[in-house]
Amino acid sequence: MRKIVESEKEGHRILDQAEREIAEIRKDLPNRIALIREQILAEAAKEKEHVLTEGQRISAEEAERIASESSKQVKALSQIPEAKRKRAVERAIELLLSQ
Amino acid sequence: MTSSLEKLVEDIIKESKAKAEKVRKDGQTQVEEAIAAGRTEAVRDADKLIQEAKAEAEAERNRIVSQERQKARIAYLTEKNRVLQEVLKDVRARLLEATENESSYRPFLLKAIRKGVDAVPSESVRVALCDRDLKRYKGRQLLDQALAATQTRKKAILSDEPLETIGGAVVTSEDGKMRADCTLEARLQLMEPQILAEITKILFAS
Repeated sequence: MRKIVESEKEGHRILDQAEREIAEIRKDLPNRIALIREQILAEAAKEKEHVLTEGQRISAEEAERIASESSKQVKALSQIPEAKRKRAVERAIELLLSQ
Repeated sequence: MTSSLEKLVEDIIKESKAKAEKVRKDGQTQVEEAIAAGRTEAVRDADKLIQEAKAEAEAERNRIVSQERQKARIAYLTEKNRVLQEVLKDVRARLLEATENESSYRPFLLKAIRKGVDAVPSESVRVALCDRDLKRYKGRQLLDQALAATQTRKKAILSDEPLETIGGAVVTSEDGKMRADCTLEARLQLMEPQILAEITKILFAS
């Protein structure tokens, strides 16, 4: 009979031990979740920084490309062949003198 | 009897261990579920953060590109306008030379006088020319020729006062109240949009 009582006590102890372990894990759960969240958001913040920096780089590159293209176009305008200009002047004179 | 008791003790312990294992397993499952839920929420928030950053970067890119394109467009149009104005200046300069060419200028002048005479509703009109044309086309021959084509009965006299113009004529009513400016300058001003369009076509058509 004594052995049975002892074994029941041992059984309770085993169960209590398991419940304590789980309670301990549960107690630490908010911290674990907060830590995981913090890590994920920190990664996201890094990614955000990268996205913004990369965006600025691409924008600057594109702006430079447009400026360079524009500069070429403007330069081309000032390099119109003299013959074309003469033709334009002659055509204008022709229009003015014709009524 | 002893064996049966041992078996009973063993069963009690075994059962407790099984219950403890279940408690651990259930507890672990709940913890893992809570962590997974927390992770999912954090990932969702992180995704939102990144998506917002991407949208922000895209908006900034659009703003910069649009600003640069506008600057480029203004620079292009400014240069184009400068070239056009330069050509127009050449036209003005070249006009004076053109008036030296009798074969093209005289018909223009005749038409200019005719138009001026037609435009001024007065029986007698005064036709003013520039000093060069006054000297070049002395006498009435030019006026008679111009009037002949209009089949008008109007009287026209040539003004002694030379006109400050590259070419063409200004016709005024006798009382000076009405005036038709048929000079080359007036014509250039009137036709500027058409002339600019024509010049643009020649210079910039690809």
